[in-house]
Amino acid sequence: MKCTMCGSASGCTGCPIGADFYVAQSLGGLEAGERAVVRHLDARRGADLRKLLALGLMPGVEVEVERRWPALVLRMGYATVALDAELADAVFVARAV
Amino acid sequence: MGASRVPRPARWLLVGAPNVGKSALFGRLTGIYSTVSNYPGTSVEIVRGRATLAGVCADVVDTPGMHTLLAVTEEERVARRALLAEADATVIHIVDAAHLERSLPLTLQLIALGHPLVVACNLMDEARRRGAAPEVALLAERLGVPVVGTVATTGEGVEPLAAAAAAAVSPSDGWGLPEPFAALARGLVERRALPVAAELALAGDEECLQQVRGVAGADATEAAVAERDGRWGSAEGFAVALATARRRMVLALLAGVVAPPERDEGRRRRALDRLLLSPWTGLPLVALVLYFAFYRLVGGFGAGVLVDQIETLFERWIGPSVRQATALVPWAPLRDLIAGPYGLVTLGVRYAVAIVLPIVTTFFLVFALLEDCGYLPRLALLLDRALKRLGLSGRAVIPLVLGFGCGTMATLVTRTLETRRERLIATLLLALAIPCSAQLGVVLGILSVSAAAVTVWALVLVLVFLVVGRLAALALPGRPPSFYMELPPLRWPSLRNVLIKTGTRVRWYFAEILPLFLLASVLLWAGELTGLLTRATGALVPVVRAIGLPPAAASAFLYGFLRRDFGAAGLYDLARHGALDAAGLTTAAVTITLFVPCVAQFLMMRKERGLGVALTVLAVATTIAFAMGGAVGWLIRAVGGWS
Repeated sequence: MKCTMCGSASGCTGCPIGADFYVAQSLGGLEAGERAVVRHLDARRGADLRKLLALGLMPGVEVEVERRWPALVLRMGYATVALDAELADAVFVARAV
Repeated sequence: MGASRVPRPARWLLVGAPNVGKSALFGRLTGIYSTVSNYPGTSVEIVRGRATLAGVCADVVDTPGMHTLLAVTEEERVARRALLAEADATVIHIVDAAHLERSLPLTLQLIALGHPLVVACNLMDEARRRGAAPEVALLAERLGVPVVGTVATTGEGVEPLAAAAAAAVSPSDGWGLPEPFAALARGLVERRALPVAAELALAGDEECLQQVRGVAGADATEAAVAERDGRWGSAEGFAVALATARRRMVLALLAGVVAPPERDEGRRRRALDRLLLSPWTGLPLVALVLYFAFYRLVGGFGAGVLVDQIETLFERWIGPSVRQATALVPWAPLRDLIAGPYGLVTLGVRYAVAIVLPIVTTFFLVFALLEDCGYLPRLALLLDRALKRLGLSGRAVIPLVLGFGCGTMATLVTRTLETRRERLIATLLLALAIPCSAQLGVVLGILSVSAAAVTVWALVLVLVFLVVGRLAALALPGRPPSFYMELPPLRWPSLRNVLIKTGTRVRWYFAEILPLFLLASVLLWAGELTGLLTRATGALVPVVRAIGLPPAAASAFLYGFLRRDFGAAGLYDLARHGALDAAGLTTAAVTITLFVPCVAQFLMMRKERGLGVALTVLAVATTIAFAMGGAVGWLIRAVGGWS
C-alpha cells in the first residue's frame, strides 16, 4: 500500500516528507492482524487517558491487533493488553504499511 | 549497662505493577510463616511482614499493584498514599525482566520521588527462556540505582536483594522529571511542594492538586496550571506528553541492556490463548472450568468427602468427649454454652472446622490455581460485554468469583473496581445473588434430594442476578465503566505460590470469621436462655407462613442473619425430619440464599460503602428474598409440584 499523500510505500514511521503528517485512524477501526503506531490520544477523553497510559498506550508505541471480539486484544512488544471499544476509540494510530 | 540497644528496623515498601510477582517476592522476603495475611486477587490492603535474612531485619510493606503513580483505581491510590506518606522508607521497585520497557517509566517516577531505591528485576527465568535476559549491571549503572535480578518463585536473588535494600541510598536526580516539564513544576517545588506531587497535580490528579495547593499556595498553583494549559492544552495533554517523553528516556536507557529476544513465547501458547479468548471456544471452556473446578472439586470433594470425614470425627469423638467432660459442670446453662445445641464447641467450632474449613480451603485452592496460571484476566475479557449490561465491567469478575468463596472478602475486593457505581452494584449482587461456599455446600446438601429442585434454585439465582444487576445499572446514575487489563502470559501455576495464597486467605478468613462463629453461638445461647430467641422467632412465624413454610423454619431464618450457612443448616435438619416437601425446600433454599448476608459481610459493607448503603442492601435483599421465595413456592404448587 502506498501513502496517498506522498506515494511512499515505507509507511508513516519516518515519513519521507518529514512532516508530522499521517492519516489518523482510530485504533478501534483496525482489523485483526493489522499493525499500527499510536500517534495521539484524544485529550477530550479526560480520565480515560490515564487508563490508556496505565496500559502503556501512548504516542510512538507499536501495536498489533490480535483480536477484536469480545474486546480488543493488542500485542505491544511482548506484552498483551485488552481494552474495550470505547477506550480504543480514544486512540489514533497510523497504520503500518 | 551491657544491654545493646535494638535499632529500629528499616522499612521497605514493595512497589510494582500487577502480575510481576510482587506478592511472591513478599513471601520470599518475609517467609511463608510470617504472621501477615496477604490480600486476595490483588493485594488490596497494605500488608506488612518482617524480613530477617542476609543479616538484615526490616519491616516489609506490600502495596497494591500500580502501573504509574497517576492513580486510576482506589487500590492504586492506596498504594500511592503509602508511598508518599512513608518518606524515610526504602522502596523496592519490582519490575518485569521480560517487559522492562513497560516497567521502567514507574522506576523513573520513583527516582524523582527520591526515596532510597532498589530495583528488583523479577521474572528473570521468563526473560532467559526467551533468550532476552537483561544486562542487570549495565541497567544499574545507567539508572544510578542498584538493580538485582530475581526469580521470586525459586528464591533466586532474594538475599542479594535484601542486602542491596539494606544499603540503599536516595538516587541522584539524573532521571527525574525531564525538561520542559521540570521547568513548569519548579515554581511549585521551590514553594516546597514534593516534586512528584507537583508532577501528578499538573497531570490532573485531584488528590495531589489539593495537597500542592495547600503547600505552595493557590496563586502559585493557579499560575502553573494556566501555564500548563497554555502549552499542553490540558492536564491530559500534559500527562500524555510527559508519559511519551519518559518512554523515550526508557528506550534510550535500554539500548544494549536488552537484546531482541531469540524466540517468541511459542506458537502453542498463543494458540491456547486464542482458544481461551474466542467466545466460541472460550465460553464452553468457562463452563468446563466452572464445572470441574468448582462443582466437582469444591462441591464434590470439599463439601462432600472432606466435610463427611471431619463431621464423622466430631460426631464420633469430639462431641461425646466434650459432652462427657462438661457433664461435670454443675450449672446447666454453662454446660449448654459449651456443649448444648448452640454450644461454642458443638455449634461454633464444629461448623467452623467441620463444614466451613474444608469447603473454603478447597475453594481458595482452586481460586489460587486459576489466578496463578493467568486464567482470571481472560475470564474477565470473555465476560466483559455481558457484565457491561449489568453496569459492571470484566474487572468485576474477580470479586464476583471470589464471592462464591467468601462474600465478605469479595466485598473488600470490590475496591479494585474503578467507579463508585460499579462498587455499589457489585456489593449489592454479592450480598444478594452470590452464595458463599459455606452456604453453597449446605444448600446443595439440602437440595440433593431432587435434581429439579437444584435446577429451579440455580435458575432463580441467575435470574435475580441478571434482573437486579440490569435494574441497578439503569437506576444508578453515572458513566458506564470501561474495561482495560493487561493479560499476563499463561503460566504453569507454581505450587509454592498457590499454597502461600491459599494459606494466607484461609488464615484471613479464620481470623475474621471464627470469632463471629463463636459470637453467634453465644448470642443464640443467650437468646435461648432469656427467651428472646423464642419471641423473635414468634415474630417471624407469620412471614414464614406467608411464603408457605412450616413455622419451624422461622428459627432457621433467624440464624441465617448470624451466618447464612447456619440458617441453611437449620433447614437441613427440617428436611431430614421430613417437615419440608420438595416445594418447601426449594422455597426455603431460594429465600435463605437471597436473604441478608451474614453479619461479617454486613459489617464489611458498612466499612467499605457506609451505613446507609449497608442498610439499603439489607432491606432490598430481605424483600427480594421473601418475595422470590414465596413466588417460587406458589408456582411449584400451582403447577402441581413434583414428586
